[in-house]
Amino acid sequence: MTHDDLREELSRRSPGQWELYRKSAESRERETSLALARESWSREEGWAARWWEAGAPRFAAASSASDLSRALSEAARVDVAPQDPPEWPDRTTDAPEPPPVDAPPDFFETLAREVSSISRGEAQLAGLFLRRGQARERIVNAAGLDVTQSLSAFHGVATTVARRGASAHEVRVPFFAGDGGLDTLARRLADAATLPLSDRPAPMAQGQWLLDPSVGAALLSGIAPLFSTERLPRWVVKARLAATAVRVADDASADAAFDGEGVPTRRVLLVEDGALAGRLYDLSSARQAGRRSTGHGTRPSFRMPPRAAARRIFFEAAAPSPAADLLAGVRRGLFASALTAPARVDLEADRYEIEFTGIAILAGRAQGPVAGARVSGRVSELLRRISGVSADLQFFPMPLPVGSPTLLVERATFS
Amino acid sequence: MNWDDAAVLRWLEPLVSRKGDIAEVFAERLRETTLEWRDGEVRAVRARREEGTSARWRRGGSESLIFVAGASEASAREAVRGLRESAGTSPIPIRAAKGEAKEEDSPPPETDRWTRRLVALLGRHASKHRVQWRVRQTERRILSPGRPAATATRRLLSLEGTLVAASRAGDEPRAVAFHAPDSDAAPDELRSFIAAAVSPRDRAVPAPSGDTDAILARGTAALLFHEILGHALEADIESSPLSRLSDAHVAVPELEVLDDPRRLDLFGGYERDDEGTAPHAVKLLHAGRVGARLTDRAHAGASGSSGHGRRSGPAQPPRPRGANVVVSPGGATSDELVRRLSNGIWIEELGRGSVDLAGGTFRLEFSRARRVRRGRFSDELGPGILAGEILATLKGIEPVLGRESHACRGMGWCARAGDVVAVQGAAPDVLIRGLAVRPA
Repeated sequence: MTHDDLREELSRRSPGQWELYRKSAESRERETSLALARESWSREEGWAARWWEAGAPRFAAASSASDLSRALSEAARVDVAPQDPPEWPDRTTDAPEPPPVDAPPDFFETLAREVSSISRGEAQLAGLFLRRGQARERIVNAAGLDVTQSLSAFHGVATTVARRGASAHEVRVPFFAGDGGLDTLARRLADAATLPLSDRPAPMAQGQWLLDPSVGAALLSGIAPLFSTERLPRWVVKARLAATAVRVADDASADAAFDGEGVPTRRVLLVEDGALAGRLYDLSSARQAGRRSTGHGTRPSFRMPPRAAARRIFFEAAAPSPAADLLAGVRRGLFASALTAPARVDLEADRYEIEFTGIAILAGRAQGPVAGARVSGRVSELLRRISGVSADLQFFPMPLPVGSPTLLVERATFS
Repeated sequence: MNWDDAAVLRWLEPLVSRKGDIAEVFAERLRETTLEWRDGEVRAVRARREEGTSARWRRGGSESLIFVAGASEASAREAVRGLRESAGTSPIPIRAAKGEAKEEDSPPPETDRWTRRLVALLGRHASKHRVQWRVRQTERRILSPGRPAATATRRLLSLEGTLVAASRAGDEPRAVAFHAPDSDAAPDELRSFIAAAVSPRDRAVPAPSGDTDAILARGTAALLFHEILGHALEADIESSPLSRLSDAHVAVPELEVLDDPRRLDLFGGYERDDEGTAPHAVKLLHAGRVGARLTDRAHAGASGSSGHGRRSGPAQPPRPRGANVVVSPGGATSDELVRRLSNGIWIEELGRGSVDLAGGTFRLEFSRARRVRRGRFSDELGPGILAGEILATLKGIEPVLGRESHACRGMGWCARAGDVVAVQGAAPDVLIRGLAVRPA
């Protein structure tokens, strides 16, 4: 069974309404802890097809062409409600084969020394996982699309444990390798692990709230589905979604020339001057909305059909301030340095909750650590209260890249 | 998987020249069908078929793993070849794949039968719904020198999503999760589950905030013990509050908690673990004392692996992980427990659970609960978070346990460091003093 055989089979099943996706990926992983050094090498094949048979959408995925052929038959047996097919794009491009993947470097000991030094021995790097991978994707469809692209990624997760007396705290921090130096990562790990050991609660019930880029990115990751949802929640006022200081955009053009449906990647401005300025569409949601795809058909894995979602979303500012200026502008408030629990965002109910560890700030100066604090409230109010956006944009794997600079929220209630 | 086992073992043998070396080949064949249902109609179907093989070699504190697509003997050869290259032993010569016998294709999961059942079930009890139904069948094969070849097959069912129940306040969407191995009993159990999920309830008031006593009912205590005992006693965990408390008395002697993968009626059950070891039940808590650890081959002591070496798939290495937490029942009825609770909350649905082993704390999310006042049920409560410290919570468990054990079908998949494995548990009603609660 070959690629051409599958194209023929799909054309027979669903003339004019099919898409075939193939991914060949290679990755190398290095996992290091005090007790173990593990190296993995993996070569994955992924095949997926989407087609409209008897007027209804179907999806099949497999690890080989012959298994995909069998999966097509299995999916075709199910009675599915009819649905309009999308308008398929057409285009032809090719990309060179990616070079072989090198094993990730071993910087466990260097990072461990940095973490220990920054934390004055309180925090210890317990584990480091690094993954470097490359993939070649080919997408063809019934309209004549035939695009090929090469993708690469290098990311990791570091685990750190801090101890003080009888107290201990463990954190896992995901990061993109190559973004910032090891010292930035070590600082983030040391702070996230040691600040919760202070046992000091938030010294104020209300105040300004300064968010580290990692906290801002976690918040944006929770809010991101708002820009691709079928129906906007009732609380959204398009003209007044956020404060004028904040802009939200999505631009994955540095990562990939096309999305998972072969539509060219482009920058989409989502929030500007406080108003909802754009939405993210894949082929299906664009068809339903009577729009064109914005190139946001995402495929986190070949196992899942593409769906509309942010690919590389980030906060930015029209007129960014240095992070130090934002700090200096805090009269009384908290700096959220790291999350202590996953951010909870319920877009339908207009609610969010962020639990974090950080530092109390008075008149622009750090006053001491805060072990844990919680901010909860309405997403709508939070977005309108962002009064400052810095220029120190950083991206974090969540698992798709989400970016945020330091943010200042003018008012928050801490508990 | 029609392999020449002797040949595969021969390829692996040079890698186990020292005592304690581990070398193995693991292959998986996965078939899965997922249906997206919305108000009586299937809106989308996904069929998935995957095959993968990995070869692993472990010596002391070093481990290598090579993964390739396919589950044929040629895939096994390619994986071992890569492993031997990385280990620096003599490579297996490249050889054209033999014309392998065409393997009999296993039948796909019985989608038609379940589709008919679901049409009837959802139509009768919850005509408005948005759920995902999944049938996953896995066949795993493990070969390792000096050990018998092992094959394990499982078929697992999951229903997740939202059912709309009619209530006095109008339509009320309720989140549901049901995970069970496919069996003759599964349809009846699913019917009861759906009927209960949409049964009438009073309008909920916000969950309280502060300290509370609680009864974890309808098997939900299994999730608590999975978090605070199961994870804490996984053999590769270096720092947990139980690490240095082997055999210490941490709870009432009436409390017996096992991890038992042999319970095939539960979602996390299996006959062979992912290293080919026949599992045995491990006492996590024996008469209130801290019991043994859950081990894989790499972390086994003199008594050998407990059969808890588990992988989320062939591309991942095995790690010691829990399977089914089983709590022995006591003799009390639910009414007796509620009277004993006097004031507190009664929880019979839990969502996610998490544990911070270094810090010794845990949290459990619930979507609803009932307030208990003076030994009687009162308000329906909305979603909340229950939290506590591991050792204090174990101390706070009352010696009187419920007399009926229930499977906790809401538990299904557990993720640790990105590895996801099937888990579940069964427990009687358990009364715990001194937890913290707050609205979610």
